[in-house]
Amino acid sequence: MSNINGKVYAMNAITPMKPWKTWILRGFFVVLGRVKPLQQDLINLSFIEFARWVVLPRKRFPYLGNGQKREELQYDYLLFFSNFNGTWNQYIDAFSAVLSRGLNLIWRWSEKFPGSVPVTPFKTYIARVQFDTDYYYTAYPRATANDLKSAHIVQASLDTLSQHAQDYTPAQFAEAYLRFVIQVQAHLGETGEAPVVF
Amino acid sequence: MSKLNATDIQGFVLRGYNLPISRYLFLHLEDASRGRKMIGRLLGQVTTGQRWDGGKPDSTVNIAFTHRGLVALELPLATLLTFPVEFQEGMRNRAGILGDTDLNAPERWDEVWRNGMVHVWIGVNAKSPEALEARCAALLAMIQETGGATLLDSQDAAAVMIDGKPTTREHFGYTDGFGNPEYLGVERSSQPGQGKLLEDGTWAPLATGELLLGYADEAGELPVAPVPHLLAANGTFMVYRKLHQNLAAFRAYLDEQAKLYGGGREKLAAKFIGRWRDGTPLELSPDKPDFALTQDPKRSTNFTYSADPEGVRCPLGAHVRRVHPRDDFGFHGKLIDRRRITRRGLPYGTFVPEGEPVLDSEDRGVIFMALNASISRQFEFVQQQWIGYGNDARQGNDKDMLIGNHCGRGRFVVQGDTTPENPPFICSNMPNFVDLRGGDYFFLPSITALGMMALCLVDPR
Amino acid sequence: MANKSGSVYGLTILSPIIDDEMATPSHDLQIRAYLATLATDDKSPFALAPGTHLARLVVMDDVIYVGMPACEEHLKSKYLVLESNFDGELDNYLGGLADTVPQQLDAIWGHCVAYPGAANRQAFIDYMKACQLDTTFYFAAVNDKSLPDTLRALHTRSAVVDFIADHQGMAPARLQAEFIQFVAELRLEPIPGPGAMAIPRDIKTGGKDE
Repeated sequence: MSNINGKVYAMNAITPMKPWKTWILRGFFVVLGRVKPLQQDLINLSFIEFARWVVLPRKRFPYLGNGQKREELQYDYLLFFSNFNGTWNQYIDAFSAVLSRGLNLIWRWSEKFPGSVPVTPFKTYIARVQFDTDYYYTAYPRATANDLKSAHIVQASLDTLSQHAQDYTPAQFAEAYLRFVIQVQAHLGETGEAPVVF
Repeated sequence: MSKLNATDIQGFVLRGYNLPISRYLFLHLEDASRGRKMIGRLLGQVTTGQRWDGGKPDSTVNIAFTHRGLVALELPLATLLTFPVEFQEGMRNRAGILGDTDLNAPERWDEVWRNGMVHVWIGVNAKSPEALEARCAALLAMIQETGGATLLDSQDAAAVMIDGKPTTREHFGYTDGFGNPEYLGVERSSQPGQGKLLEDGTWAPLATGELLLGYADEAGELPVAPVPHLLAANGTFMVYRKLHQNLAAFRAYLDEQAKLYGGGREKLAAKFIGRWRDGTPLELSPDKPDFALTQDPKRSTNFTYSADPEGVRCPLGAHVRRVHPRDDFGFHGKLIDRRRITRRGLPYGTFVPEGEPVLDSEDRGVIFMALNASISRQFEFVQQQWIGYGNDARQGNDKDMLIGNHCGRGRFVVQGDTTPENPPFICSNMPNFVDLRGGDYFFLPSITALGMMALCLVDPR
Repeated sequence: MANKSGSVYGLTILSPIIDDEMATPSHDLQIRAYLATLATDDKSPFALAPGTHLARLVVMDDVIYVGMPACEEHLKSKYLVLESNFDGELDNYLGGLADTVPQQLDAIWGHCVAYPGAANRQAFIDYMKACQLDTTFYFAAVNDKSLPDTLRALHTRSAVVDFIADHQGMAPARLQAEFIQFVAELRLEPIPGPGAMAIPRDIKTGGKDE
């Protein structure tokens, strides 16, 4: 069992919702999905690689027959899966500090959600509804979301310079090379091991 | 927020004394009841945060305890268990988290920090060597008389003297001491750039609870603190680290790199930390030092990084940008307000001006002491994520140039522009300019809490 | 439905685990035991099969009771959750898994209700889709780059840092020649595969309620 692989942390959370509230939440997600500026805060939180919310209505748990018993539930459930860089505390702190309104709109329909501010009851709630990952795989254990974005910038700049490198005079090349270095200079951090998770 | 009771708070917490010399005594408690008696005797001597209307005293005394020290004093177990995990563990056991490995590993620390014997830190600051000696002699005589503790070791530190005057320089030649935050209720002349950034671009003091236990912090709640409340309130936690400086290695590396760097030696030195050696912030004056600026409290810390997202003026990985990223992570700086620390401490060892022979083996460095309400959330986070790692600064695994535990590896990227005076540049394979020689985590109680400890009046819940 | 963000697909699957009182240990525990030792590096089934950026497997043994005044309720089945973030379309991805790592799939999903086995490619795909949940809201920080592009870019970045650092102050003609050679060599260099250079896990307890 491990929620951690290299530089990423896998969080799973499940919270119960009264079924009539599920529709409000779905409505909110429709708006969030269509209005890109509303997603900007998620994008600016540069330590999230992938995240998803799945509304699971009580009657829609996969049922395959073959002796499986049908679920009999009163609540719908909200599943949350996140892949983030950094520490658990940093992640929840950041959510609470800068995304509290958005998070409240997502989780306030869940039973016993205390609100995302102040942070300690919020952390206690997340810790309670979090369930651990048995197996976690990442194709790039030594990279964070920032590393990925930087790497793509470096690649694109290198591709551009190398296309014309042969055609330049040395003086032209020196100038183009300097421009290239300046294009990539903010994106040259090394990839490597993650700090010890705490 | 109500006014702080300065008579209940150790003065060391509320202000840097600005006294030029100091000695830190490390004690081992021999016996709980004699130890309490010793604390009782010390109580009247502890310097509080009360204003010095009659002028500065000749010397000051402050006291703090490791968790093992509190155990030795036989505080109730139910109370001992309410202290934060990292404080209970102590700094040595957090070496993995802090990146205190390889050259900085605990096995390489000074003897006094390796054996786990330190229970008490007593900090004495003084105006003059005579005042220091007199105060320490009196303290040690009293300690001996009570039989409460033995002296394991002591550490002297003092401001670097230049032309006979105490300065705020450290051994590498940088001017230190610009970075301490302001807190609500802590009396101090206000300076833009030293608290937290607000949405309108102005600065305000941080919540008191980022420094002192018992008050609301930046998350709008009381920091994690031991129970009972009275034991915690008006206290704080202190990180003590003895940082040895390899001055010869630093100067040699700077010389060698400066040969390749078009901006010149002094600019390269400035790029390492984000300030010219006289303290001028690169962000405000990228081309040359401006001494007048450093002397102007309205300007010397008053800047943000939003106009320099690529690090052209102040490199993205420069020391001051790492440890106080201001608005660098967006959200008007809100992601950093719970990651600030207050620094105390002084250099130790002899200062050697540029050009004079110097050896790394000479005993020289800085005593780093950080005060914060939560060691894990504040100091440890900064040390791990911002000093020993670079992801938040978008610099991958790159470490802090000056104090990173490089062990001969690593990179530091100096971003630049197309002008020959400010070229982009990469430093590689850095030696350790700074080595950790030991230290620990301490609890700095209030005067009330010291009294409770002395009289054995701590009631658990 | 928001299973895709750009070119990245977010797959969520909940497969009911067989509830058999005769099984010792129970099927969910057998899955956990298998997953505990399954390789997470370049030997991982998700590294061997194409297209996965990140994926996880989780035994969800019940819903969580949050306390009064909420009602306490429990699931009748335990579920195996697969959360995957991959390139392209679902059928191709599932088919790729079935083609490449059928043994591992069988060892895991063999404990699930009505699992047909990976040998029958179409039956496997149909089964997985029957267990699929639609994602309500999906976020991907980078959603326009394939896995091979990403691995290549990461490799390129490291090489570029080294190149720049090693060529500071070099005369233009020589710099140009070395750059051209560097790019040519970089193209031929093998790129570390998915999951390569995994890091051993080291976790400390830390800032509780910090």
